[in-house]
Amino acid sequence: MALFSPSPPTTLFTLSSKAHLSTKTQLTLFLRKSQSLVLLRSAGDNGAGSVGSASVVEEKLEKKEEAQKSNLGLKEEEEQGLGANGVSLKGEASSSFKDPRWVKGNWDLKQFEKNGSTDWDAVIDAEARRRKWLQETPEASSNDEPVVFDSSIIPWWAWIKRYHLPEAELLNGRAAMIGFFMAYFVDSLTGVGLVDQMGNFFCKTLLFIAVSGVLLIRKNEDIETLKKLLDETTFYDKQWQATWQEDDSTGAKKNKT
Amino acid sequence: MISPSNVGVDIGRTLKPHEYIGMVRRDEVLDAYLRERAAEAGATVINGLFLKMDKPEARSGGRYKIYYNHYEKGSVNGEKREMEVDAVIGADGANSRVAKSIGAGDYDYAIAFQERVKIPDSKMEYYKDLAEMYVGDDVSPDFYGWVFPKCDHVAVGTGTVTHKSEIKQFQAATRLRARDKIEGGKIIRVEAHPIPEHPRPRRVLDRVALVGDAAGYVTKCSGEGIYFAAKSGRMCAEAIVEGSENGTRMINEADLRTYLKKFDQTYWPTYKVLDILQKVFYRSNPAREAFVQMCADEYVQKMTFDSYLYKRVVPGNPLDDLKLAVNTIGSLVRANALKNEMSKVAL
Repeated sequence: MALFSPSPPTTLFTLSSKAHLSTKTQLTLFLRKSQSLVLLRSAGDNGAGSVGSASVVEEKLEKKEEAQKSNLGLKEEEEQGLGANGVSLKGEASSSFKDPRWVKGNWDLKQFEKNGSTDWDAVIDAEARRRKWLQETPEASSNDEPVVFDSSIIPWWAWIKRYHLPEAELLNGRAAMIGFFMAYFVDSLTGVGLVDQMGNFFCKTLLFIAVSGVLLIRKNEDIETLKKLLDETTFYDKQWQATWQEDDSTGAKKNKT
Repeated sequence: MISPSNVGVDIGRTLKPHEYIGMVRRDEVLDAYLRERAAEAGATVINGLFLKMDKPEARSGGRYKIYYNHYEKGSVNGEKREMEVDAVIGADGANSRVAKSIGAGDYDYAIAFQERVKIPDSKMEYYKDLAEMYVGDDVSPDFYGWVFPKCDHVAVGTGTVTHKSEIKQFQAATRLRARDKIEGGKIIRVEAHPIPEHPRPRRVLDRVALVGDAAGYVTKCSGEGIYFAAKSGRMCAEAIVEGSENGTRMINEADLRTYLKKFDQTYWPTYKVLDILQKVFYRSNPAREAFVQMCADEYVQKMTFDSYLYKRVVPGNPLDDLKLAVNTIGSLVRANALKNEMSKVAL
């Protein structure tokens, strides 16, 4: 089993016993294709880009050991993957999404009619159900029956009616309460009346903060999410800036020493 | 491009006849071409494998001594040799030894796993001039799964940064999503590559510079590296030629830094935009649905290809941009609304 020889003994045992049958066929296949095992095994390393590919067996061997140390997990995966695949890709039978209203990759809107007009709520329900199904059991895409349903055919008012109204009520109510309390608070502290506050820049800013706050922070978790978002947006910048910062820090170190 | 709910969009419609998306189908061929061109231009090409190098004292202007295995054409056994050079450009890929020898630091990397599959000619016909991208949580939580044509076979693969240990599952999912199109195929080779996620913390030290994958110039989102690799190599070489005044004076770190500066200035926006795109649209299944819907838009395609082909992030027509923004937010809202609905549905 030349294929497994560089693995540490523990994994060697489990791997070869697990993948015994299929690797046999695998080996014959590769031999027939006249590809050397060494080349196959080291396909994962790509450090040899600048070197002639035929002449680097020694390098490959070294690399192999290196790679073994650094990402052993990956290698194992590769081998197991090979074993599990078998030789040819056969389509396994799996149940696909079925609904009498789902016809040729689209929702048959005629079947959604209620009192002469399309019942969009039902369409949304049906599509949600389909997506959930697909999330749980992903399906092969097909050229013969492409999915043509596009959620943009559902008119905007159907969405608004369904989602926006309850949410909007909550937000408007909250904004009104906060706004009233703030106006009261400012008035009681400074004696500036509600009408005068409207003409005041500081109060306008407060109002703006209150409204955007209500919009952005709808639940307590939102604060965490926003923080994370901020970190995330600057993370890549930091990674890129590293080159230039390092310059400064080494410069500083050199000055010290 | 195919969304989690299997909506497929064709994103090549706005390409003009003379425009095409090149893909490196056989990197060996490209390498050989570049090597020959360099030799024609007067470079001495040495077929060798870099082992290690001795650095001269910092800023002393001494020479680098590099040790390498020399390979004659066609022979398998290398011969140990050494040589003294003024400057080193490390272009030796993701596992760069040059980078290691200057302590360039590590980068996060994605692993890309792919299987080369030989499929029947009748199926191959479909992939003659198209590649497929699959998105979805099943295929990869932060990247995409692909079927790329490679001469006489296809490469089926997927990549991820965050869930490296589950790559096998993702690969199985990719295979499943493309099942009908690659049915009856035989796996001829399995490959796994690291893909840098961001540049290394140190890309230049004294008279050693890194370019391409060794430096970590791979874009997010599309995972493209060859263009930037070639471009950075060229910029670096130009900086050296300029700094040394055509070989009459010794260069120093500042000369190589001009290459870094130029590269960062020119391409940083491209990298950043792709990073944002990846963060916004590869985030979750609803976001991916919206992404695919967005990609169906002609204006988006035109903009994407303009920036892809000519490597500039071009500002477009403000009105169209506004329309696009509204549509995109619409798509995102719709997809998220459906997701909320999905959590209520019991199958």
